[in-house]
Amino acid sequence: MLLLFFSLDIFLGSVSIRPSEVLSVFLGNADSNIETIIFKFRLPKAITAILVGIALSMSGLQMQTIFRNPMAGPYVLGVSSGASLGVAIVIMGFYSGIAPSDLMTFGNWVLTFAAWAGAGAVMLLIMAISARIKDVMTILIIGIMMASGLSAVVSIMQYFSSETMLKAYVVWTMGSLGNLSSGQLQVLAITVIVGTIFSIFLIKLLNAMQLGENYASSIGLNIRSARVLVFICSSILAGSVTAFCGPIGFIGIAIPHIVRNVFRTSDHKVLVPGSILAGGAVMALCDIISQLPGSESVIPVNSVTALIGIPVVIWIVIRNKRVSGLSDG
Amino acid sequence: MRRIAGFAWLLSLILLQYSCRNDSHSSPAAGILSSDIINKAERLKINTNDSCTIVTLLDPWQGSDGVQINYYLIKRGSRSISVDDTSRIIHVPVRKIICMSTTHLAMIMALGEENSVAGVSGTAFVYSQNLLDMAEKGLIEDVGYENSLNSELILKIKPDLVMMYGVGGESAGYTGKIEELGIKTMLNADFLENDPLGKAEWIKLFGALYCKEYEADSLYRSISGAYNSIKDSIRLGTRKRPKVLTGLPFRDTWYVSPGNSHLSSLIKDAGGEYLWEGTMSSAAMPMGLESVYMRSLEAEYWINIGAVVSKDEIPAVDARLSTIPAYKNGHLFNNNKRITENGGNDYWESGVLNPQLILKDLASILHPELFKDHKLIYYRKLE
Repeated sequence: MLLLFFSLDIFLGSVSIRPSEVLSVFLGNADSNIETIIFKFRLPKAITAILVGIALSMSGLQMQTIFRNPMAGPYVLGVSSGASLGVAIVIMGFYSGIAPSDLMTFGNWVLTFAAWAGAGAVMLLIMAISARIKDVMTILIIGIMMASGLSAVVSIMQYFSSETMLKAYVVWTMGSLGNLSSGQLQVLAITVIVGTIFSIFLIKLLNAMQLGENYASSIGLNIRSARVLVFICSSILAGSVTAFCGPIGFIGIAIPHIVRNVFRTSDHKVLVPGSILAGGAVMALCDIISQLPGSESVIPVNSVTALIGIPVVIWIVIRNKRVSGLSDG
Repeated sequence: MRRIAGFAWLLSLILLQYSCRNDSHSSPAAGILSSDIINKAERLKINTNDSCTIVTLLDPWQGSDGVQINYYLIKRGSRSISVDDTSRIIHVPVRKIICMSTTHLAMIMALGEENSVAGVSGTAFVYSQNLLDMAEKGLIEDVGYENSLNSELILKIKPDLVMMYGVGGESAGYTGKIEELGIKTMLNADFLENDPLGKAEWIKLFGALYCKEYEADSLYRSISGAYNSIKDSIRLGTRKRPKVLTGLPFRDTWYVSPGNSHLSSLIKDAGGEYLWEGTMSSAAMPMGLESVYMRSLEAEYWINIGAVVSKDEIPAVDARLSTIPAYKNGHLFNNNKRITENGGNDYWESGVLNPQLILKDLASILHPELFKDHKLIYYRKLE
C-alpha cells in the first residue's frame, strides 16, 4: 500500500504526464523538463508526504497510549500551537516595520526556525511540568490549556493584522508538503528517522504503560522518566513536521485507530510498524488528492486529511461502539 | 442574470433621480444637466443634476454581484434634499478627509488637495515625501488598520469623509461603528477595476468630491490620450508578443492573477502575452507549483516578482525557481523601483494615475527596440 501510493503520488500531479514518460525519466532518457518535474517537484513532495505521515501517526499513537485517551493526538501537548505562535510572530508581529509581501522573500528557513523555536519552547515547558506532576490527566489538561492560551495570543495578533498578513498566516496553517528545499528535506528525514528508531525502542515501555501505570511501576518502571522520554520523542516528531509543513491535522488521530482496528490488537510491536506503513500511505494518498490530478488548481492538504480522516474515524467508532484497545486497558 | 441586474439598476436610477428632483423644491427646473461622465471605469457612475451629484458604485467589493450604492453630493450652502438614507449625503467640497488606501492619496494630490488629508491608514506605507512630511509634523494621523481602526481618533479628527475600500460583507463591521458616530464614509472600488484607464478614471470621483470636475476630467483626458497613443505605437511597431510570467509562490501554492486582471490588460497593451491570458476569475487563482513551473518554461520575461529587489532573492524563496528560463536569461523586472524603507511602493500610489508611464515601462521591457531613450520609472531590472 505504502509503495503503491508513493508511486501513484509520483505519477499523478497537476501537470498530466503520461505514465510511460514518467517511467522513461527513471530509465534516464526523457525530456529534461519532465525530469525536472519528477525529480525536483514530485519526488521530494512524495518523500515529504511519507515522512509526515509516519511522524504524525507515530506521535499520535504515543500520545493516545500515554494518556489512554482516544482523542489524544500529536498536538495535545500544545506543540503545534507553540509552532503557530512562532510563525504568527514572524508573519504578523512586525506590525509596522515590514511590508507583508517582504515575507515571501524571507525564504523558508525563517518560518521553519520560528516554528521550531515555538514548538521547542512548549516542549521544554511540558517536560518541566511532567517531571514534577504525577497524574497524567493533569498533564493532559495543562497541555490543552496551554494550547488554548497560545491560540488566544495568536487570535489577538490576527485581530490586529492586515488582510495580506492574515492570508499569509492562514495559508501557513493549511499545511504544505511541496516547498521543502533539499536541505530541509534532509533535516526532516533525519529527525523522522531518529524519532522512528526512538519509537521502536519505546515499544516495550508503551506496552507496559498501556496496562496501567500501577502495573508499569510494579515491574520496576520509573513512570515519570518513561513519560518524559515518550514526550520528547513525540514532540520531536510532531514539532519538526509542523515546522516544515505547517500543522497538518487528523492523520495523527485517525491512523492509530485504523491500525488498531485492522490488526485487532493493542500490542505496540504491531501498532508501531503498522502506523508507520499506514501513516505514510494515507498521507501520500492525501497529497495526490490535494493536487487534484488533471486540473491546474490545488487544494490545501490539511482539508484533504480532515475530509479523509473524519469519515474513517466515525465509521470505526460506530462499528465497534467503543474505541478498541484503549478503553479496555 | 446580468441583464436583470442591469435593468434593476436602470430602474432604481430613474427612481432615485425622480426622488432627487422631486425633493428639491427650490429648483423647479431641476433636471439632468450632464449624464454619466464615465467611460472606462466599470464600477463607477457619476450623474449630475442641478440639486446634487449622484455617485453610484456598482459591486464595490470583491465577489459582490448586483450591489449598488448611491451617494448624493451636495454643494455646501445649497438646500438639502431628502433621501432615505441621510448618511449617504456628502457635502462638497470635502475639506477634511481620511483615506484608507494610498491610491486615494495620489488622486487627491493630483488635484492639489493634499492639505485636506487629515488621516491615513498605515502612514508607514505612504510613498509621497510631501505626505510623509505632513505625517511627521502631525498634520496627518495614522488611524490604524481595518479591524483595529482607531475610532476615537477618527472622531477627534472629525473628517468630512472617510474614504474606505470594500473587502466584502465583513467590512460593514468596521465601517458601521464610525458611521454610527455620525461620520460620513464612502467606499472606493478603484482597486477592482481591470482596465488601467478605468482605474485612473476614479480621479473623477475626487473631482466631484472637491468640486474640481474640470481639472479631474482634463487630467483623465491627458492620461488616456497618452496611454492610447503609446498603445497604438506598440501595436504598430511590434510583431511578436513575448510571453510573460508574473508573481511568486507562497510555500507550494502560486497565486496566479487571472486573465481578466489589471496586470493582464497592461501586459496585453504593452505587446506581451500573459501566460494565463485566457483565464477568468474575480480573485487570484491558487495553482500547484509544478503546473506553474511547466507553463513558466515558455515565458521570456518574468515581472512583478513579489517584493524581491535582487536576483539572488528568488532562489532563496525556492531553489527550483532558478531553473526557470526567464531567470536564467536575466529577464527579471520588478515593479518596486520606487519604494520607501518601510515598503511603501509608489507603483500602487502614483502608479494608479500614471498607467501611461507603467505601460511605457512595460513596453520598453518587452520590446527593447521601442522607446530606446525611455528610462524605467516604476520597474527595476533585477541584477
